[in-house]
Amino acid sequence: MHIILTLLLLTLPLLTTTALLLRARWILSPSRTKPIRHGRRNPKEPTHLLIVLGSGGHTAEMLSMLTRAVNEPSERARLNLRDYSHRTWVVSEGDSISAQRAKEFEDAASGFGQDSIMAGKVKRATDMGPGSYEVVTVPRARKIHQSVYSAPVSCAQTFWACWSLLVKQLEQGRDYPDLILVNGPATATVLVFASIALRFFNVKGCVTRGKMRTIYVESWARVKKMSLSGTMLSRVVDRCLVQWPQLDAKRNGTGKAKYVGMLV
Amino acid sequence: MSSSKLCFLTVGATASFSELIEAAVSPAFLTALESQGYTELSVQYGQDGQQLFEKCKTVAQGTSKLKVTGFDLDKLGLGKHMRRAKGGKDADEGVVISHAGSGSILDALRTGVPLIVVPNETLLDNHQVELAEALAEQEYVVHGRLPQLPKALADAEKLRQRAKEWPPVNSGPERGLKGILDDEMGFLD
Repeated sequence: MHIILTLLLLTLPLLTTTALLLRARWILSPSRTKPIRHGRRNPKEPTHLLIVLGSGGHTAEMLSMLTRAVNEPSERARLNLRDYSHRTWVVSEGDSISAQRAKEFEDAASGFGQDSIMAGKVKRATDMGPGSYEVVTVPRARKIHQSVYSAPVSCAQTFWACWSLLVKQLEQGRDYPDLILVNGPATATVLVFASIALRFFNVKGCVTRGKMRTIYVESWARVKKMSLSGTMLSRVVDRCLVQWPQLDAKRNGTGKAKYVGMLV
Repeated sequence: MSSSKLCFLTVGATASFSELIEAAVSPAFLTALESQGYTELSVQYGQDGQQLFEKCKTVAQGTSKLKVTGFDLDKLGLGKHMRRAKGGKDADEGVVISHAGSGSILDALRTGVPLIVVPNETLLDNHQVELAEALAEQEYVVHGRLPQLPKALADAEKLRQRAKEWPPVNSGPERGLKGILDDEMGFLD
């Protein structure tokens, strides 16, 4: 009798760990269920893109990338902001420059799409207009020169703020972001981990409904070695894009790092 | 009256870079600027750089007639200053000197003004040096080192001759960032 009980007690943690690991593997797998979409701008299927502006060079690179994308000369490669009926811009507390630049980008870019392929034709019912956007603030995960020891506390605050910000989307009559686009630094890393935690527990069905796919773009300024954010995120995001060939996972890069050329 | 020619120096918004200010706002560098036909040095010196800038300016202007101006930050971005360095109808094309922040490098490359990149070697985990080296190797920028700033200025004149366009043609994924976003979203058209 005792032997059976001991065995059970021994196998229980093992089973739990295995279950948790399998769960983590599933929610982290890029091949997990994706929603089926009927057209790009379907009023019945709103789309939501979340972008983190990490301040300083991160903001500059993100906006450079997006500005290039909405201005691509080839129609096939040109990003239309209207494909995303709602955009959430996440900036760090006190970073009024990033907030301002998000607004400027929205003002300039959301008007772009309307007269491209639709020019001269009757406005189709599927055209939902420029959609909406919101700039939200979260506390900074790690200030520049902040000591390593106080970082866990500020990271926990940021984590909580990111978690609430994502869940709040549902209360505001929207849904989770479909796509999360980040390029560092710590604050963005924390937001990605918050989205992973939500998927792990499938809060409000986020993983079953294929929400919150994640893309990390390594800084263009990283040539030979991944950043700390990149090293951590390269294993857990759905796509990890690097802009120098040396940083591909086949060479010096980590995780899912894939060289795709320059994006900025 | 000859036309103007501007050298614009930026140290960025996040970290201070007093060594670069000291090296640029110095009698030796102002002499180098004058010999290349420059008429003005404009310095973005950062939040805590004003005192140092004023001090260096007083010393340097004892020996030079070059106009030296400065400001701490510009919330509207540096594009305006880069375009001023680019020149135009009544100004010759000058040069931009930047700490190696990616934002200012991108701004200068897009503006198409010759750029000298001086990484801050005192920063931890200095990946900026790698970026400066990689871009200098492909002849997009001049990689400046602090003790030899006047030499970098001469190299920038050579760079001017073979100005390259940014972004490089076909430098990204085939369908751009959009293609990648589309894949993840499941847009199929």
